[in-house]
Formats: sequence, structure tokens, C-alpha cells
Amino acid sequence: MDRLISKFTDQRVLFSASFVVRLALVIYGDYQDRTMMVKYTDIDYHVFTDAASFITKGKSPYNRSTYRYTPLLAWLLTPNIYVNKMFGKILFIGCDILSGLLIYKILCLRGLGSETARRVSSLWFLNPLPMGVSSRGNAESILSALVLGTLLCMEGRRLIWAAVLYGLSVHMKIYPVTYALSIALTLRSPETTKENRRGWMRFIVVIGSFINAELLLFASVSGGVLCGLTALCYYIYGWQFLHETYLYHLTRRDIRHNFSPYFYMLYLTADSRWSQWLGLAVFVPQLILLVETSLAFHSDLAFSCFLHTAIFVSFNKVCTSQYFLWYLCLIPLVIPHLSLSLKHGVGLVLLWFAGQGIWLAPAYFLEFEGYNTFLLIWFAGLLFLIINCFILIQIITHYKPKKTPCRLKVE
Amino acid sequence: MYFVLVAVLTCLATCHCLNRMDEDENHCGQLKQWLESTSVSVSVDISKKGFHRDLITNIDLSPDVPRGIRVLLVYRWPSGVYVDPYQLASLRDQSDWQILLDSSIDLEVPAHKTLGFVTYVYPNHGDPPPRELKVVIPMHGRYHEPSSQKTFTSVDMQPPELLLQTEKCMQLNSFEPHAIVDAPCTVHNSSMCPWVKVQFQQEHGPVSFQLPVGDGSLVIPVCSGTLLVTIICCVLLSKYTWKHRISL
Repeated sequence: MDRLISKFTDQRVLFSASFVVRLALVIYGDYQDRTMMVKYTDIDYHVFTDAASFITKGKSPYNRSTYRYTPLLAWLLTPNIYVNKMFGKILFIGCDILSGLLIYKILCLRGLGSETARRVSSLWFLNPLPMGVSSRGNAESILSALVLGTLLCMEGRRLIWAAVLYGLSVHMKIYPVTYALSIALTLRSPETTKENRRGWMRFIVVIGSFINAELLLFASVSGGVLCGLTALCYYIYGWQFLHETYLYHLTRRDIRHNFSPYFYMLYLTADSRWSQWLGLAVFVPQLILLVETSLAFHSDLAFSCFLHTAIFVSFNKVCTSQYFLWYLCLIPLVIPHLSLSLKHGVGLVLLWFAGQGIWLAPAYFLEFEGYNTFLLIWFAGLLFLIINCFILIQIITHYKPKKTPCRLKVE
Repeated sequence: MYFVLVAVLTCLATCHCLNRMDEDENHCGQLKQWLESTSVSVSVDISKKGFHRDLITNIDLSPDVPRGIRVLLVYRWPSGVYVDPYQLASLRDQSDWQILLDSSIDLEVPAHKTLGFVTYVYPNHGDPPPRELKVVIPMHGRYHEPSSQKTFTSVDMQPPELLLQTEKCMQLNSFEPHAIVDAPCTVHNSSMCPWVKVQFQQEHGPVSFQLPVGDGSLVIPVCSGTLLVTIICCVLLSKYTWKHRISL
């Protein structure tokens, strides 16, 4: 049995098998789209393709309503119009496989044997969730590849590359911006003296530790990439680009049901005087927790990024199932360091799925059967938050930090 | 010589015009006659449940419709629903009608913050149109303003207006009691044409369906419950994070 598993997780077999399965799903998806009423392809994929088709006609991708992404994505997908409409899906499954490879590389860098690293990375390679998402034409895999690429370059101390990828990933989606504090804390100069300075002297030392060549290099390169791309897109598409890509997500007032614990509260107060303040107040728990996890776990960047993403998604004003993918790609980096028993781990996974199931049932009855289940959806949203926090607490308490916190120099 | 040529040409042109007017009157007369004898009925029905529904329109045009007549249905949608233009575009190959929208549609805005809109639906019928036409349009309910009194709100759908036109009858006058209205000639919206708006007996009247609304009387408990749970979760998570922090 063990030999069978080891054979199956053999590097080449694993990579090619996971690619073939994804390719088969893409081909099957095309068949289902052509023959059945229920379509396999994600609605977003049609949005991307429509936006790309506007680009090929020399128009703005934002002519396609609900296109709320960087124009880079629409540019990237113009072969959908020129070559074949499957191009984007192939690109997405390519990024999906690349993410798996990056997970494998990061695990090796973090001191895991290649056999174990392969087994753990197969949690991504053979995971039906990312398989389904990328083969349905959802672009999340591009972002997971960028985020994992940033982490790999950070682990390998290739700072310029890390900064370029980080700038690019923040340009693509805003959420990785939450990693900034953790990255800054990892790059600051270590405190050389252990003297117990008090008051403002200590404050100056802490501030001073942030001023070093590495941190300045990272900040200027990633800031340069981000600002350069944003300025370029703003130059071409103007205010509409800024509004649709960034501001919309910040000021989003979509009151329709979603996994967020705040959904019903925001729906009921949407027209009241204090809705603006409530909208801002719900950022407070996110902010506190993000700053705290940065301070507490910055020495283990991958773990810190995982916690950031999970907290950001769980406490967000709007949360849909595709957001779960943002932290799913970071879980394989955390798992080898957990001292949980298999039973305990499986129990937590089942609990997470149960939390979603409990939410999905009343949401289905509201949306497709027309029952008034708003209150139940609210309860389920709160329960899902509690479950997510419980799981995160379990992960935090059972996390054994990597044994070599010293920075590895690799070629 | 030239005078003779001009005279002949003028005569020919007049004859042609007279002929056309004759033809026009002939086609108009045919339409008029048919409208007098017909008993058109248009009924709407709604299928499926929840927020995603189908609006089914049945049009009965008996007796047999003369050749050359085109049908246009004008729907006035209330603010409580919307149609998704991209969904409709993806259905184009499978549906036997084409649709034109009078304005862009915001798919996310709640009902009380938007206005209704108008769509023009052109059934792809043969010539002459069949006696019975059926059009099924997918529509979606919008979220409504929370209410303290009711748990459901009603959305009323009126039957569409039925407009008719024959390509050859351009002199649309004296079609009493039917009115003449201007509407886009085709789904491409490149020009406006006069259409005969057919008065028909409303056998069924509007149909309505119910959409759930949030309970406005629960604002205080929901807000306090939400904030309480999120604060507790935040504090607990924060406590464990700090307790298990990795110190260098």
C-alpha cells in the first residue's frame, strides 16, 4: 500500500496525472456546456471572455458590466477570441499546476524531505476543489500562483523577484496587501542588543530597524510595480478602471446573501443613517487581528499569510465560496507543522464542510424555493464564523514552528 | 423630344406610385380586416420558485394571421425584477425570440433604488406567424427593502403590449380602436417604425409572485447579535494568537 502511494506520488506521475485530470475536466465541461441545460463553465469566464472581446475591438474591458478585475486579465485572455475560447481555461489549469509545483518547492525549502513534500503537495494537486474551480474558468489560480511565487522567493531570499510578484499580486487582487506588515517585519534588521531600553528610545530603535537596504529594496520594487501597473491602466482606462477594480470592492454594498456574518445586519441597515459607520466598524476586528497575527507570526511568513487570508475572508463584509480558495492554497504549507492527529484533522475538515452545508441549505431555500429563511441564513453565517475561528484556534495551538528559523541561503 | 421623355417618365412614375398606394391600401386593408375579425388574447404566467423565475407569455392570434405580418411584444418590467442581458445573450441560440433593452441594467441594486425598464421582444416566427406564440423569458427577483409588517412582497407582472406591423403597409391611419405607436423596427434598434398597438381583452390580468423580504423589526437584535458574536470571536482568536506567538 505504501509503495503504491509512493508510486502515485512520484513526481512525474503526480504532475502529469493532475494535469491530465484537469484537462479532461475542461474537455468534459465543453461537452456539458453544449449538451445540457446546467452549464459547467463559470459565469465569470464569460465575463472575462466578453471583456477580452472588447479589448480586441479596441474598446475598454469595463464596457462589460460586472467586469471588476485588472485589464491585465482581459489582455491575457485575448487569445480566447483570436485562437480558441478554451485558451483561458488551459491557462488557469496551467497556473493551478504551477501553484502545486510552487507548494512542493516551498515545502522542500522549509526543510521537508522530497517524498513528504510530494505527499503534502498532492493535497493540492489531487484536490477536487481547485480542479473544479480552474477547469470551470475561474481565474483564482493565477493569484494563488502569484502569492505562492512571492512566498517561494521570500523563502529563497530572492527579494527582487519576490517584490515584483508581490506588486503584481496586489495589482491583481487587493487582499495580499494584508501581508505587507508581515513582510516588513521579516525584512527589518534583527535587534542586535538585548538591552532593555524604555520609552521613546525603544520606539526609535524599533522604527530604525525598519530602515534597511532589504526592506527599502522590497518596498520600492513592489511599490514601483504596483504603482506602475496601476498608473498604466489608469492612463488607458481612466477613472472607471480604479472604480471597478479597487474602489468598488472597498465600498461594496452588495446586500444579497453570502457567507459573511455581517450579511443580514448590512441588509437590514442598508438605508439607515449609521450604515456608513457600521460599514467601517466591521473592518475593525479584521484590522486588529491582521496586525496582531503579523506581530505574532511574522517569523514564519507562510503561516502568517495563511492566517491573514483566513481571517480576512472569515471576517469580511462579503464572502463567497471562491474566497475560500485564497487560503486553501496556503494550507499545504501549514499542514506539515501541525501536531494534530489524523482523526483530529479530518474532524476539523468535516466541521468546516458542515459549516458550509448548514449555510447552503437555508440559502438554497431562499434563492430557489422562495422561503423566507433570512434569519436562518444569519444564524448559519454566525455559526460558520464561529466554526472558522474554532478551526483557526486549533491550528494556532497545534502549530509547531519550523525548526530552522534561520534564513536559508539557496541558489 | 426631351419634353416627351420627361412626360413619359413622369407618367410612369405616377403610375408606379399609384400602384404602390393601391398595394399599401391592399395590405393595410388586409391587416385591418384581420384585426376586426380577430380575437387576440395575450396571457402571462410565471414558473419556478424563489428569486429565479421564468415569465411565460402565450399569444393566441386566431383566426389565421395573414402573410407579411410581424409581431412585437413590449414588456414594461417593474423595479422588483430584472433580466440579465448576458444570460439572454447566452440563450440566443436556443430561444426563438430576440430581445432589445431600453436601458442598461444594474444586476445588484435593490428594488427600491432603481426604476423599471422596457424590453422589446421580437419572436422569430415564420411567415405567416403561427396562431399560437409562446415566449419564455428568464427573470430574477431583486432584493427588496426590509419591512416590519410583511415577510413577503408581491411583484406584479403585466402582460406585454402586442404590436403588429406589415412591412408593406406604411400608411397606418384609421386603425381605430387600435392606436399607432412608434417602436424600433428590428432588434438592431437602427430605426423607428409605426406599429399597430392591438387592444385585446385582458382575460387574466397581471400575474404576481412573492419574494421574501428581510424583517425590519429585527434590526436591533440582529445588529447586537452580530456584533456580539464577532467581538467574542475576535477576542478569543486574538487571545490564542498572542498566547502562541512565535518569539524569536
